[in-house]
Amino acid sequence: MSDRLEDFSLGKSMQSKGTIQKVGIVGCGTMGQELSVLISQSGIEVAFIDISEERVADVMLRIEAMLDDRISRWGLTGSEKKLIMSRISGSTDYQTVADCDIVFETVNSKKKGTSLELRQQIFRKLEAVISPTAVIASNTATLMISEIASVLVHPERAMGLHFFSPVSKVKIVETVRSVYTSDETYATVSKLALLIGKKMINVNESSGNISTRMLVPLINEACEILMEGVATVADIDETMKETSGLQLGPFEMADKIGLDKLLKWMENLYIEFGEQKYKPSPVLKRMVRANLYGRRVGEGFYLYQGDKRLVKHGHINNLGRV
Amino acid sequence: MKIIVLNCGSSSIKYQLFELPSQAVLAKGLVDKIGLKGSLIKHSRQDGVEVKLEGEILDHQQGIEYLLGVLISEKYGSIKSLNEIDAVGHRVVHAGEKFNGSVYITKEVIAALEECIDLAPLHNPPNLKGIYSITNLLPSVPQVGVFDTAFHQTMPDYIYLYGIPYSLYEKYKIRRYGFHGSSHRYVSKRAAEILGVDYSSLKIITCHLGNGASIAAIKNGQSLDTSMGMTPIEGLIMGTRTGDLDIGAFLQIINKEELDLSVANTLVNKHSGMLGVSGISSDMRDVEKAAEEGNKRAKVTLEMYYYRIRKYIGAYAAAMGGVDVIVFTGGVGENDPATRSFTTSNMEYMGIKFDEAKNKGLRGKEAILSTDDSKVKVMVIPTNEELVIAQDTYEIVESRKSQMTS
Repeated sequence: MSDRLEDFSLGKSMQSKGTIQKVGIVGCGTMGQELSVLISQSGIEVAFIDISEERVADVMLRIEAMLDDRISRWGLTGSEKKLIMSRISGSTDYQTVADCDIVFETVNSKKKGTSLELRQQIFRKLEAVISPTAVIASNTATLMISEIASVLVHPERAMGLHFFSPVSKVKIVETVRSVYTSDETYATVSKLALLIGKKMINVNESSGNISTRMLVPLINEACEILMEGVATVADIDETMKETSGLQLGPFEMADKIGLDKLLKWMENLYIEFGEQKYKPSPVLKRMVRANLYGRRVGEGFYLYQGDKRLVKHGHINNLGRV
Repeated sequence: MKIIVLNCGSSSIKYQLFELPSQAVLAKGLVDKIGLKGSLIKHSRQDGVEVKLEGEILDHQQGIEYLLGVLISEKYGSIKSLNEIDAVGHRVVHAGEKFNGSVYITKEVIAALEECIDLAPLHNPPNLKGIYSITNLLPSVPQVGVFDTAFHQTMPDYIYLYGIPYSLYEKYKIRRYGFHGSSHRYVSKRAAEILGVDYSSLKIITCHLGNGASIAAIKNGQSLDTSMGMTPIEGLIMGTRTGDLDIGAFLQIINKEELDLSVANTLVNKHSGMLGVSGISSDMRDVEKAAEEGNKRAKVTLEMYYYRIRKYIGAYAAAMGGVDVIVFTGGVGENDPATRSFTTSNMEYMGIKFDEAKNKGLRGKEAILSTDDSKVKVMVIPTNEELVIAQDTYEIVESRKSQMTS
């Protein structure tokens, strides 16, 4: 017969109900991986879901590589890494997130066009397994949470939480309440934000929030300048970094985000607002058609070799290639 | 008088239940992994009964509630009810310039400690959580704060100031504070007791060598200087901390490795010291073992470690105009004959005659390691910070009682 800790309670401290013990992540790409680490680092268990066993194994390896990289850059110790890894598990089975307090949807669809239906499907699948009080959050910035959540039986449990990469460094998260979101949902999300040390920037539901909506015209305009032959990719980037305090120039940023993803954002914004400034630049479309998605694939506006970013010397009509 | 001593860390609470003045430890334990997965309490009673309880412990208050629950439980407890608890003593890391001794905790004291959070952002908040929790759970029980920095508040300005613009001291209280105060105070006093000499007439150098390490010059019963500064990074080479480091070199590292502030902090606190130089371990035993097996970097690590201590001993002897007693304490100081030997042998010119025979194999108990005719006494005294906290709490609560009745 073993004793239970609860038997020694004096009944004085409030049993804080609704404290976040476990968080789920559906779709564990770069954002999902970074979020997994941040959440686990805050002492919360993380269960992620991805499309295949191979992919799950690969994600675990990538998370480990990310932590090893931090160790080699002095930001983490070996024992801290062990602790972080011990709280992260992956699976293809939705049942593994059934006991989560919050589940994030952070999918990256490789398919063309909007990912609205895919995200709706995931929301529905999640609702079928999680507890009635659990929150479902989407990392989308350009789709409407209200629209995604409309397929839920309890749409009040859904919210938008738009994180930024690198998650470990960026101090804010854009939070979006849909037309349905309940105060309880908002409270749970606020608790998590506090636990993981992010400041919530509350945004009224609008495609692109603040960040994406500001970014898209900037990158589009950079493409215009490039197409007109006014300046080179590297010179545009350098000028913007030096004069605007940006950490990355518009093309460096585009390559880092992924041009395919960026194109989707632009299309979503264009559909929503119908404004010329969001209409994807032809340069960007051509690059995406040629599968030059940016850093992820080794080539975009720049070439990438390991950690190095190399300037492409060709004309933009040849997509920068010589 | 029954006194609980609490040492609250970021995710753990170490506790002991003392009976004073007998100094008996009725029970002690550890609440671990607070707010994390797998939280637990490890508790042991004076008679050897032990228990490990696992479950959900979300915050410090809940952890303290459970440990109180265990203390009054029939099966594992040492007391029948919470009414038997006469006082609670807290270890608080940083009291800045606010307190030069232990204090009875009032609202004003709590406010003053809250102002010190900037000085020890990692340590003071959990210490304060312990105080808040006791205030909530045992509102009528007197509480006493015992500060790591307090003992060193006797350092004169020319020792505690840094060579930086004075306005930075005025604005942010950037200066040297020193740590391990309770330990330095306890072992230096105890040394005087053992030697039967007046504490206030001695020049004592105390070496607290643990995972964190500091050394103090105690002249006439007052701390004159200590090797840790504004933070615990300065001074001796430690398990994972650099100790003294040229700031220019540090700036160069930050520049070359493109480090941000938090990473730079991790580098000097967690990747450096014995671990960083040896590449083996932060644990003295592992490094010694590797050195014995011929590992050159392990060897140089040990030499660096010893040398830094010797250098401080020499400096502090000069600072005090001599030295009467050198005390070793802390995990390494109490248990590692090699460290004691390499840091104090061949120092006859200073009046230190070290007796290898007495040193050899001596671990974890009070002893005099110098020869009988040595002018300077070299001693080992196991530290007991919890007892210091309990005693201070006892004295402060007793004196308040007598003030109230008189």
